[in-house]
Amino acid sequence: MTLLALKNVTKTFRVNQREVHAVRDVSFDVREGECLAIVGESGSGKTTLANMILGLLGATSGEIHFRNSALPARRPSELRRQIQFVQQNPLSALNAKRSVGASVRLGLDTYRIGERAARKAAVEAALEAVGLEPELARRPPGALSGGQRQRVGIARALAVEPSLVVLDEPTSALDVLVQARVLRLLNELRAAKKLTYVFITHDLAVVRNIADRCVVLKEGQIVEMGETTAIFDDPQHDYTRNLIRAVPVVDQTEVQLRDKLGRAND
Amino acid sequence: MSLLSIRDLSLSFRGIHGVTEVLHGISLDIAPGEKVALVGESGSGKSVTARIVLGLLQELAAARIDGEVRFEGEDMRGFSRQQFAANRGTKISMIFQDPTSSLNPTFIIERQFAEVIRRRNPGASREDCVRIAGEALAKTAIPDVERVLASYPFQLSGGMNQRVMIAMALVNKPKLLIADEPGTALDVTVQAQTLQLMRQLTEEHQAAVFFISHNLGVVREFADRVYVIYRGRIVEDGPTEAIFADPRHAYTRALMAAVPRITGTGLPDIPERSDSFDAPQISHGGGS
Repeated sequence: MTLLALKNVTKTFRVNQREVHAVRDVSFDVREGECLAIVGESGSGKTTLANMILGLLGATSGEIHFRNSALPARRPSELRRQIQFVQQNPLSALNAKRSVGASVRLGLDTYRIGERAARKAAVEAALEAVGLEPELARRPPGALSGGQRQRVGIARALAVEPSLVVLDEPTSALDVLVQARVLRLLNELRAAKKLTYVFITHDLAVVRNIADRCVVLKEGQIVEMGETTAIFDDPQHDYTRNLIRAVPVVDQTEVQLRDKLGRAND
Repeated sequence: MSLLSIRDLSLSFRGIHGVTEVLHGISLDIAPGEKVALVGESGSGKSVTARIVLGLLQELAAARIDGEVRFEGEDMRGFSRQQFAANRGTKISMIFQDPTSSLNPTFIIERQFAEVIRRRNPGASREDCVRIAGEALAKTAIPDVERVLASYPFQLSGGMNQRVMIAMALVNKPKLLIADEPGTALDVTVQAQTLQLMRQLTEEHQAAVFFISHNLGVVREFADRVYVIYRGRIVEDGPTEAIFADPRHAYTRALMAAVPRITGTGLPDIPERSDSFDAPQISHGGGS
């Protein structure tokens, strides 16, 4: 079933009396329970698209539907709760002056989830669900490692029991070992909590291992869209091929895949 | 002879919670013109090693440094602050992870270039500096050199700033370029271009590269030799092909498994700690 649908969404910014078309006539569906990746280079419109799904930016034209009804410009609290956000840099996403527990609790208080008295336990449960010790709740984000902070970012988003999570480059600020652990965690949580992800990234190797389908954006337009395996087996667009070829590779089998794409390109 | 030779380097910091050991006696060598990578996770001691070579940690009262660091055969232990400062930007230069935040936002590129050029050539006139900077930028395939020289860093894209940083780092023809995770703050296509450009220009200048990264995939096509570092100890070293063909240390294998594959082999389950990660160093040879 379709959870989220973008219908001819366009976003135009005016910069110095010039029009910049950040997103142009983009349409796609996100199915319930899937992980849909949005990929592209810097400036391709990925984050603008995320901000529109979250309601942080309004579309210039087009509509975004959630559970078959158009999302209003001013979203009621219940709809805001249902669509949550995990940012790229957890250090700047978390309030440095608050303990991480207070940051996680803020969502519970805002959306009045559970009894007041039970919220402390709910915060601890949210931290435990992402593999963090409940004692960390008292610490400020600055006292945590990058991987722990990103887990807090995930805990905060999931504590309010959303159905859709928009993840904007959630692992690109992390080293490869921490990235591998966080990606596994995200996969497990998606299955356990029946979540739907919109996963924004420029890293096609991450996409290959986490996304069911992907949308490839270039200069604000969709150039290719489909099942992840199909796109990697036979990318239709040179831009997609170049994105795959730019990924640093480790194995000989990867080198072969990259060489095959290279030949198709020449 | 090694251009850079590090022997039994250890580092600890004295803080309010006592002493934190960061490096436990690491040794490594870089030959002239050689590209050597130091690879490990966050907090393993990669960046501090580079900072010691630049003489930046020696200034910290809380840092205790032991062991030998030789550059061009000269023991740097006795170096004064001025001697280290004289090396930086001339014989040894560095490029950082995020080019936009490494450049000064309040000056145009031309002025920042002039400052670097005058470190080696204090009498250079403005015209000389513009000419030298222009030539250096042209080599990085920047199409519109004059516009870039007249721009502030925030007016340029991340990829453009990265090219500026590389051109600036190489303009004084250093013997050694230290590259700390260059391009990881940028997207994959720009990162790939950065690596290609760095390889091409350092080969042209015959500069050695000390390349710091957490991603073995990035290192594979760039480095001649690799040192893998874990918690302040080198755990494996050798020529790049040897390490990739036959990674023997458990930690090297974990680091390799962590790199997501474009062939879609799934997400590996990597433990936070394992006794096998503390196993002794394995050397494939091939050092200078």
